[in-house]
Amino acid sequence: MSKKLLAPLACAALALTACSAQGDEAGGGLTVTANSTDRVPMDAVVAAFREQHPDIGVTVTYADTDQLQSTLRTQLSSGTAPDVFTVWPGNGNPAALELLAPSGYLADLGDAEFAGRIPEGDRPVTEYEDTTYIVPVTYSGIGVIYDKAALTGLGAEEPTTWSELIDLCGAAAEEDMSLLALGNQTPWVTQLITYALAGTTVYADTPDFDERMAAGETSFADSGWKTAMEKYLEMEEEGCFNDNPLGTGYEASISNVVQGRSVGLVQVATTLSQVQSEAGDAELGMFALPATDDPEQTLMPGSVSAAYGVNSEASDPQAAMTFVEFLGSAEGQDIYATEGGTLTALPDDAREIDPALTTLTDYQSQGRTVPFMDQRWPNARVQQTHFNVIQQLFAGDITVEEALAEMDDAYLSE
Amino acid sequence: MAPHAPGVAPTKGGGPPPPRGRGRTRPHHLSVPWWFVLPALAFFAFVVLVPALRGAMYSFTDWDGLAREYSFVGFDQYRALLADKGARGALLHTLVIAFAVTLVQNLVGLLLALGVNTAIKSRNVLRVLFFAPAVITPVVTAYLWKYLYSPQGALNSALDVLGLGAWAQDWLGDSGIALWSVVAVIVWQFSGYSMVIFLAGLQSIPREIYEASDMDGAGPVRRFWHIVRPMLAPAFTINLMLSLIGGLKLFDQVWVMTQGGPGGATDTLSTVIYREAFQFNAFAYSTAMAVVLTLFVIVSSGAQYGYLARQERKNA
Repeated sequence: MSKKLLAPLACAALALTACSAQGDEAGGGLTVTANSTDRVPMDAVVAAFREQHPDIGVTVTYADTDQLQSTLRTQLSSGTAPDVFTVWPGNGNPAALELLAPSGYLADLGDAEFAGRIPEGDRPVTEYEDTTYIVPVTYSGIGVIYDKAALTGLGAEEPTTWSELIDLCGAAAEEDMSLLALGNQTPWVTQLITYALAGTTVYADTPDFDERMAAGETSFADSGWKTAMEKYLEMEEEGCFNDNPLGTGYEASISNVVQGRSVGLVQVATTLSQVQSEAGDAELGMFALPATDDPEQTLMPGSVSAAYGVNSEASDPQAAMTFVEFLGSAEGQDIYATEGGTLTALPDDAREIDPALTTLTDYQSQGRTVPFMDQRWPNARVQQTHFNVIQQLFAGDITVEEALAEMDDAYLSE
Repeated sequence: MAPHAPGVAPTKGGGPPPPRGRGRTRPHHLSVPWWFVLPALAFFAFVVLVPALRGAMYSFTDWDGLAREYSFVGFDQYRALLADKGARGALLHTLVIAFAVTLVQNLVGLLLALGVNTAIKSRNVLRVLFFAPAVITPVVTAYLWKYLYSPQGALNSALDVLGLGAWAQDWLGDSGIALWSVVAVIVWQFSGYSMVIFLAGLQSIPREIYEASDMDGAGPVRRFWHIVRPMLAPAFTINLMLSLIGGLKLFDQVWVMTQGGPGGATDTLSTVIYREAFQFNAFAYSTAMAVVLTLFVIVSSGAQYGYLARQERKNA
């Protein structure tokens, strides 16, 4: 189909499926697309922005991840993309920074005030060839989100070693519950435990693993990824998870925690607000998933989560820059993180933080976090293969060696 | 040659409908001017044919759907397709689904049609009930069944209540049965649709023929085989064509219920095409797959139609 025909079709599809649009200058002003999950914080940010810049109209369209990723490419190539849009940090999916920037679709944000405040550890996923192209808005991590009362009910505390974790799985099973809810029917959920384990099993000993992979000096099969996958399966064998994880989806896994069938679940920190909203008054906590018996070795995946880029062919580049400057300001970051129940991507010591997230902020401040693994992978195929092989491992269809070989093949594919 | 077109009942007023078929020509003064079709044909060409052909053109390029430039690479994408293990697996799943859905959906639809074509009092209510799932959007149906199929879902709970707890399964999580669980949902949803078409065919069979067969001493089985089946041939043709094509291009239900999982166990050509295009940026490659799927649908449905049309003529 020609690009000219694709464009209106894609726009129509996005418009029809988007949840709603906000703004009072229909047909003019700044156009923004954001993830449906970020509706509340983005609406709040836009409201605050409009108070300061009443002359700039902002229309926000929301869509879910699949729609954002699938329509953005068509919009950009046909010149109909919004002025500001969600961009995923690093690489690994069709709307990621390292895919969009080389094609010239993103405006250079290197001169923006916030660019100098991006933490060093996040620059690899917010820059392309040493130039900043996105404004990071939230910071998230992967760990065990759990119900404190349920853990106390087992007479236990947060496990800090692998052995303690496995013992706790047994203790939970004796109480007819699982330590962790696992919804591996939902593909993206499959990756979280490997990430949480690989943070330690891969990067504790090989901090430059991503660079070595890129240089072709190592492989998934010859790294701590093997240990991570073996431990993932060991957790399954030790009864750490609910029955039938392959038939359980993301929503059901949250229900398991809320309804007391599981103590917690391994999830991204941004899920905390959703679990909290369904769990009512229950007090939640979060801890890093231990992968060895040395607590000092434990590292936590933590990285920029939501981020936005500016269309290099924005209808009003000045207004678009003003908007992303606001997103990067202390006020914009605070509103976004507060309304979304997450952490700001740009550190702000003066902010009050949800107590459940202190573990993540502690790991962040101690430099004990590693970027989400897929953000450093060269193409989206590796992540999809990862989803696939985890499901196959749980189905007993392949071995760990075969799984890692498939991931290595995907890594080397174009 | 039959006195009237196969499957078309004589009108109540007596005379058969105008004959058609080979050797029969419509009187010249009744023929429809060919250019009447032009507006519809032009619109069809604008919204379907031209975009489809332009799209197919990309299968001979290396365009990733994003880059401003692309170059022609001949049949490279098609060669890569031949070596793609995942695509071959998806093709097999697609064939299994298409075959199973075509067979079971039409069998169930036919039995339902025969059941509600009787004099039972609740026949009208039953017709509505059986047809109702077909009017629900497939995506909604898929979400509903995803919930029913969950390990703690209604299906396993019902089995427990009935004392059949041992039959409880991880319906969508077990790679051995997930594909069949998807097939069952499609059969559940569209058997009523097939039923309606069969029912229309059944109701067009003149009552006199049934009465004559009764007088000749034909039992229900012989009556079905020698009278109902041949006269339902057009309904079979339509139903088998629709279910085969629907099965071959299946996407919605699979994507919602399993996204092709677990571990690719329910991947179909359509889900792989979507993933290649919109998740991997392999736009040209996915277009090549789509071209192959389109040709596959055309050839298989064309062959099926040819066979069924011959059967219709033979039965007429």
